[in-house]
Amino acid sequence: MASVGAVLEARELQVGYDGAPVCGGVTVAVEPGEVLAVVGINGAGKSTVVRTLAGRQLPLAGDVLIHGLPVTPDAVGFRRQVAAVFDEDVFFPALTVREHLLLVARGHGVHSPEQSADAELEFFGLLDRADAVPDSLSSGQRRRLLLAAGLIRPSSLLILDEPEQRLDPVMRDALGRRIRGHAERGAAVVLVTHDPRLLVQTATGCLVIGDAVELVTPTQGAAVIAGS
Amino acid sequence: MRDPETTTPPVATSPGSAGDPDLAREVVAFTRQATRRYNRARSSFPDVLANLYSAALALGCAAAIAVSFVFALRDGIAGSMVHSSLVDSRWHVLPAATLWFLLTYAGLAAIAIVARKLGPVTAGPAEAAWWLPLPLDRRPLVLPSFLRRTLATGLAAAVAYLPFSVLTALDRHAAAHLMAAVTFGAVAVTAVAGAAVLQLTPQNPPQYPALMLAALVPGAVLPFLAGARWPLALALAGAAAALAYAAPRAGLVPRAELVRGGAVSGHVHASVFFLEANELHRALAVAPRSPRQRRRGARFFARPVSGAFTALVRADIVAFFRLGPPVAGPLLFLAICGGVVLIDPALPALVQIAVLVIAGCATASGTGTVIRRTALIPELDALVPLPPWQARLSRLAMPTLAMGCWMGVLTAGLAALGPAGPLLVPLGVLAGAGMAAGTLRAATRPAPDWTRPPVETPFGPVPRDQVSALLRGTDMTILAMMPVMLALYLGFVHPLLIPAQLALSAGSILYEVRFGGRPA
Repeated sequence: MASVGAVLEARELQVGYDGAPVCGGVTVAVEPGEVLAVVGINGAGKSTVVRTLAGRQLPLAGDVLIHGLPVTPDAVGFRRQVAAVFDEDVFFPALTVREHLLLVARGHGVHSPEQSADAELEFFGLLDRADAVPDSLSSGQRRRLLLAAGLIRPSSLLILDEPEQRLDPVMRDALGRRIRGHAERGAAVVLVTHDPRLLVQTATGCLVIGDAVELVTPTQGAAVIAGS
Repeated sequence: MRDPETTTPPVATSPGSAGDPDLAREVVAFTRQATRRYNRARSSFPDVLANLYSAALALGCAAAIAVSFVFALRDGIAGSMVHSSLVDSRWHVLPAATLWFLLTYAGLAAIAIVARKLGPVTAGPAEAAWWLPLPLDRRPLVLPSFLRRTLATGLAAAVAYLPFSVLTALDRHAAAHLMAAVTFGAVAVTAVAGAAVLQLTPQNPPQYPALMLAALVPGAVLPFLAGARWPLALALAGAAAALAYAAPRAGLVPRAELVRGGAVSGHVHASVFFLEANELHRALAVAPRSPRQRRRGARFFARPVSGAFTALVRADIVAFFRLGPPVAGPLLFLAICGGVVLIDPALPALVQIAVLVIAGCATASGTGTVIRRTALIPELDALVPLPPWQARLSRLAMPTLAMGCWMGVLTAGLAALGPAGPLLVPLGVLAGAGMAAGTLRAATRPAPDWTRPPVETPFGPVPRDQVSALLRGTDMTILAMMPVMLALYLGFVHPLLIPAQLALSAGSILYEVRFGGRPA
C-alpha cells in the first residue's frame, strides 16, 4: 500500500536494459516537502533510476506510484504533476530564450506567463539574453534555460538530473535555495547530484545507488560523493 | 538575483487547461509564428525568388530528362521486345502482368515499411523536449506534420508510378496512366495511415505488421484495373477511411514512439539532404529486435583464440550475424532478378542486365552494416595490436562470403536456365568477392564537400569531386560485376573472362585492403 500522502513511491523497483538490472532494487517513498537526493559513482545507475521514475523507460520489475497511481507518462494528469529536467540540450532553433519560457508557461496555463517568464529570466541571470536564440548561448546559459523551464511550471514532483552541471558556484547556491523553496511549498523533489554542498543544502534524505541501494542521511550521502 | 517565487504569485493553472485542444493549437501557432518571424528576419525577398527560380529550373530539367528517358525506354521495349535474352526462350514462363503486380506490391510494402520506420506520426527533437511534456491534447501538436507527410507520400508515389505505368502498359492511353498513378498514390496513403495505426500499440504482436502487409495485396491490384473508374474511387475511399481512422488517434501515439520516429526521420532527412548514403543506411538499419539476436554467436565468440587477427575476425563474424540485415532483402533481390529474366514477353537483355547490376549493388550495400558502423569509430581498430590493413581484411571476411554465396546462387540459376554454362558459377563467386571490396570502399566514402567549385569541362561545369565521392564504392562493385555481365550478354563464358574476373576481384580486394580506409 502506498504511504499516506506519498507523492512518489517505488517498491522493489528493478531498472536496467535488455532485462539486466544496472543496480540493486529500489524501495523508497518521497512525501510532499521532501527532497530525495540520489548519489552514486559514475555508471551506478542513478540516471536510469530517475528516468524510470519519470516514466522515460520501463522498469524491469517492481512498481512506481505517483500519488498512489502507476506511472503513465502519456497521461495529461501525469504531465501536469511531474516536471523532469534531464540533460537534453535541445531547443527550437528559431525561438528565443523568452519564447521558450513563454511556451512552457502558456502550455501549463500559468497565470501571467510574461511576468513569470521575466521572473525566471531574472532569477537565472538570463535577462540580457532573453531575446537571443539558444544557439547563441553558452552551455551554462542553456543549462539555466532548461532549469528555468522546469521551474516556471507548477509540479507536485520535480525530478532533476545533475542540475549543478555547467553552473557556477553562485548559481548552484541559488538553485539549492530554489529547490528547497519548491519543496517547502508542498512539492516532492528527486535530485541526482554529484555536488555534496548542493546535497546538504537541499536534501532531506539520500539514496545511494549501487549493487545494493540504501537510504542514508544527507551528510552520509555527501560523504559517499566525497569518497570518504 | 531575485527569487521569482518571492516576486510573483505562486504558480497556478487555469481551470480547464488540461488536455485543451485549443491551447495545444495555440502552442503550435505560437511556435510557428515565432519561427516564421525569425526566418523572415534572416532572408530577403530576392533570396526567396532566387531559391524558387533555381528549384523550379532544377525540377523542370529533372522532369524533362526523366520524361525523355522513359519515352526512349518505352520505344525501345515496344520496338525490340528483343529475342536476345539472358535465358532460353522456353523459360519465359512468368506472365509480365504477374511481375508488374509483384513489383507494385513490393513498392507498396516498401512504402508501408519505411513509413513505419519513420513514424509516421512523429515529434522532432525540439518538439519532443518542449511540446510533449505539456499537459495538452497531443493531437494538434502532431497531426499537421503527419497529414503533410502522408499526402506528400501519396503525391510522390503517384508521380513515381506514372513512368512505371507508361513502361509496363504500352497499350494504355494517357488518361488511364494518370488514373493508375492516382490510384497507386491513394493506396500509398492507405499504407502510411496503416503504419500510423500500428504506432498506437508499438509492442504489438508481429502478426499486426504482417496483417497490414497482407491488406495491401488488393491495393496492388487496383492500379492495373485503371480502365474503369471504380478502382480509383475504391482506392480514394480506402485512403479517406484509413485517414479518418488514424488522424483522430494521432494524439494517442505514445511519447517514446513519437520520439523514436522523430529521431529516425531527422536522421533520414539530413542524410538525404546531404546525399550521404552511408548515413541513410545507418538511419534505416534494423536494430537487433530480441535479446537472443543481440547475443547471437556468444559461445563462438567466447572460444579461445590463437592471435589478435583471429580474435578480430571472430569479432567481425559475430558482429555480422548480430547486426547484419535480415536475409529477406537478398532473397527479395534474387527473386526480382529471377522474375526479370523469366518474364514473358522477354525484356531486352540490356534491361535485364541493368536490373541484375542494381540488385547486386543493393545486396552488396546491405552486407556493409558492420563496416559502416566501425568506419564511424576508427579508434576501435587501434584497440587491437594489428596494422590497419589487417583490420580491413578482417572486416571483409563476412561480406566476401555473403556476396560470394549470393552471386553463386544467382549465377547458378542463370547457368541452369541460360546458355552461359556452368563456368558462370565460379565467375559469379569470384565477382562476389570483388563486390565485397566495393562495399568496404563505399563504407569509407567521405561526405561530399558541396563547397568545392565544379570543374570546367567541354560539356560544361561538372561537380567532379562531389560525383566521385557519391560514386565511391559503387564504381568498384559495378566493375567487379562486369565480367559476369559480359558473359551473360555473350551467352558463354569466354576462357579469358575467368582470369580477368580473378584479377579484377583480387585487385579490388588488395587495393582496398592496402590503400582503403577513409581518405583524409
